[in-house]
Amino acid sequence: MLYREAGQFKVSYAADQQIFSIRQDRFAVLALVAIAFLVVPVVGNQYWLSAILIPFLIFSLAALGLNILTGYAGQLSLGTAAFMAVGAFASYNFMLRIPGMPVLLAFIGGGTVAALVGILFGLPSLRIRGFYLVVATLAAQFFILWFLTKVGWITNYSSSGVITAQQIVILGYAFTTPTAKYLLVLSIVTVMALAAKNMARGNVGRSWMAVRDMDVAAEVIGIRLMRAKLLAFAVSSFYCGVAGALFAYAYLGTVEPEAFNLDLSFRILFMVIIGGVGTVLGSFLGAAFVTLLPVLLSVTVRYLDSNLDLHIAESTISNLELMVFGGLIIFFLIVEPHGLARLWQIAKEKLRLWPFPH
Amino acid sequence: MSFFFEVLIGGLLSGVMYSLVALGFVLIYKASGVFNFAQGAMVFFAALTYVGLLEKGLPALLALPATLAVMVALALIIERIVLRPLVNQPQITLFMATIGLTFFIEGLAQMVWGANVRGLELGLQDEPIQWVTETSGMNVSKFDLVAAGVAAILVTLLALFFSRTRIGRALRAVADDHQAALAVGIPLQQIWAIVWGVAGAVALVAGLLWGARNGVQYALTFVALKALPVLILGGFDSIPGAIVGGLIVGASEKLAEVYLGPFVGGGIEGWFSYVLALLFLLVRPEGLFGEKRIDRV
Amino acid sequence: MRTVERKIGAAILELEHISLAFGGVKALTDISFDVREHEIRAIIGPNGAGKSSMLNVINGVYHPQQGTITYRGTERRDMDPHRTAAQGIARTFQNIALFKGMSVLDNIMTGRNLKMHATFIEQAIWIGRARREEIENRRKVEEVIDFLEIQHIRKTPVGRLPYGLQKRVELARALAAEPSMLLLDEPMAGMNVEEKQDMCRFVLDVNEQYGTTIVLIEHDMGVVMDISDRVVVLDYGRKIGDGNPDEVRNNQAVIDAYLGVAH
Ligand SMILES: Nc1ncnc2c1ncn2[C@@H]1O[C@H](COP(=O)(O)OP(=O)(O)OP(=O)(O)O)[C@@H](O)[C@H]1O
Ligand SMILES: [Mg+2]
Repeated sequence: MLYREAGQFKVSYAADQQIFSIRQDRFAVLALVAIAFLVVPVVGNQYWLSAILIPFLIFSLAALGLNILTGYAGQLSLGTAAFMAVGAFASYNFMLRIPGMPVLLAFIGGGTVAALVGILFGLPSLRIRGFYLVVATLAAQFFILWFLTKVGWITNYSSSGVITAQQIVILGYAFTTPTAKYLLVLSIVTVMALAAKNMARGNVGRSWMAVRDMDVAAEVIGIRLMRAKLLAFAVSSFYCGVAGALFAYAYLGTVEPEAFNLDLSFRILFMVIIGGVGTVLGSFLGAAFVTLLPVLLSVTVRYLDSNLDLHIAESTISNLELMVFGGLIIFFLIVEPHGLARLWQIAKEKLRLWPFPH
Repeated sequence: MSFFFEVLIGGLLSGVMYSLVALGFVLIYKASGVFNFAQGAMVFFAALTYVGLLEKGLPALLALPATLAVMVALALIIERIVLRPLVNQPQITLFMATIGLTFFIEGLAQMVWGANVRGLELGLQDEPIQWVTETSGMNVSKFDLVAAGVAAILVTLLALFFSRTRIGRALRAVADDHQAALAVGIPLQQIWAIVWGVAGAVALVAGLLWGARNGVQYALTFVALKALPVLILGGFDSIPGAIVGGLIVGASEKLAEVYLGPFVGGGIEGWFSYVLALLFLLVRPEGLFGEKRIDRV
Repeated sequence: MRTVERKIGAAILELEHISLAFGGVKALTDISFDVREHEIRAIIGPNGAGKSSMLNVINGVYHPQQGTITYRGTERRDMDPHRTAAQGIARTFQNIALFKGMSVLDNIMTGRNLKMHATFIEQAIWIGRARREEIENRRKVEEVIDFLEIQHIRKTPVGRLPYGLQKRVELARALAAEPSMLLLDEPMAGMNVEEKQDMCRFVLDVNEQYGTTIVLIEHDMGVVMDISDRVVVLDYGRKIGDGNPDEVRNNQAVIDAYLGVAH
């Protein structure tokens, strides 16, 4: 049948509080997850898996992390990439220095260290707000990268600060092929997205949003601002940290601190804005968009180039990319500040009424 | 000791250049409450346009007004296309819009003029002033001194503009209270257009000076990032604050690099001013010149 | 629903010699009064008299420079918002302070945050305590929703509601905490006659059915005289009258203040 909720009556609060309370949504999401796990690994080729899908999933996770902090708790951060770096380099050191360290535990450890660093740089948020906080997160961005570059111990004294991530081995199975890595990343991201959704719809999520929307009122109804904000920094940084670890272990393999520069932080912020501030779904849509757009752009430009003989330089494409991203950000902020996730919702509402407009 | 003063003076003079960039921020923030992250991109765009026009064979005397015209036009377009539709949005939204703007302008600038690093010759050498070196033994750059002078003149002009002209006074009214300004018939949008235009001009001056010093290149946009701690120290809406903040940032980061840097492996110029601003904020969240405010409920 | 017999008890909140200034502006000067259990206590006064500041002092948003506050036997220099909430004081604001990005239901659910103890990890996994608490508290919130007759807007984002309903949702959020004392800052301001009547009814019902002590700021004299047990009158940050509605109505200083007689 079509997209209808007629006849689906909620008989308990539990049913009403489900993540996807409309049956068709539930099916659609389950189907999507099933496809991602069962079909994509079979039909996806090497290039798609390792150059598009794996980074897409990792960026989704990072965007989710930033979305928890910025979208839910209302604390703008420009230091996302630095927290990813902490996760990556901490995981590396756990693996390097603890013999027999299980790699998943190392990722969790990396996330935890990132969370602690996040709390540290989140402390100023207790006294300052808005743009002032942006400076605190920029301080994190610059200071952390400098620190990672300068302290040789962290990179095991490699000459240029480049680390080579150890092989991922879980229960004796080595994740070497793109398909295996993809499945690993997909599993981690699915679990963490579910956890984020659960937090968002529960008391923690509401406390974050309350702090975001009106902090004095939040305080007056008993929410502890300090705890809510620092928790947001911790959870957000944990997500970013794990994303950073996956970035190093499942995507790049070898990585230097400079890979986590301010540009990456901006890129992830863009995913959040374009996808939808304060939605879990938006983090994925935004990451997909930002990952795919450059591919699409360069394919289109190259196509035009070869057909129309325009002699477009490679640098033109990257400049065009900057302009398109910049323009899109402005476009979304003006036209649809809630991003792709909201557009999706509107489309669904239309569909619910279709074909009878009333 | 004279080495200390040499570093200090060098730092103060380059601090003036930070102030110059910060000034562009303050102007716009005062008038429209927008924290314009794209100010750095505008600086870059200005410098690149000027150099580009020179390369096209335009004499400097023509290139300068032409660039000025381009900058003012750019500012007006931004005001019109980006800011006007976003009036009454939360400040953070506007801030993010200007981040988008930054990317757009950077892409545009490099698309039009190319991305290669270029020198910019203003006929000023970055060399020690002989007279100072002979009398005190300190090296003070001629370029820095002139740049500081230019910045000082610009600040004075702006201060006069704000306090003496009708537009300037209207602008102050707008900064104090948008609604009230509207109520007494001050044309808000006209004021914003003017302010963005002026900010464009300030960006041009900053772009020329910074471009001449560091070369005209993408890295110029990072200068804008340096203006952030300056603003934190001085306050977002204070012109004197921008000056004092710039001086503090310039001097302290040079001193830190020289005296602290060797112990930690150097390169601390990149973050020192941020951490300084952060520590400062923890002690005085309202900034140097700001008043302590308690939220009304 | 539990019904408490409406019997006014002893003073549970005592404010003594409270003074509060913002820079040079003296918002409150040496103010003392008390609030008795189960009563409806009104605070009135011209604009800028310091009424809202008074409420802000009571629940710890503002910290007075002088004076003491005694709540249920504990004397303090000032209150802090979290502790105040934990001790059962809830409030609404003069300028609606709802959480704009959330639905009506979520707004009201935040009112119960102090009753929910599951850690964020439990909530992330959504098992056991987290799940149970979510359902139990939802049940309580639905009671409040029924009580205030806002079932039909449960899932609406609060930003889309008209002003009068927003005020009602704010009251719902405060009530969800099951407070023993409720501070209401101009709950009826900007409402039409019908909405005012509804709001009056709700305030009285809360007071009667749950025995909630109410401190109410209101400009509408008719309402104040009708529903309150005792009234404090402030003017320019000073207390110029205190007593039952009749006493206050006949107090010369109060009449002067309202008629704008020069000081
Ligand atoms: N956060 C604050 N910062 C500075 N001044 C304040 C603040 N809050 C209140 N004031 C000042 O304190 C005085 C009392 O204000 P308050 O809001 O308590 O008055 P009110 O009696 O509630 O008035 P109204 O009927 O207009 O709501 C006013 O002069 C006001 O300007
Ligand atoms: Mg008031």
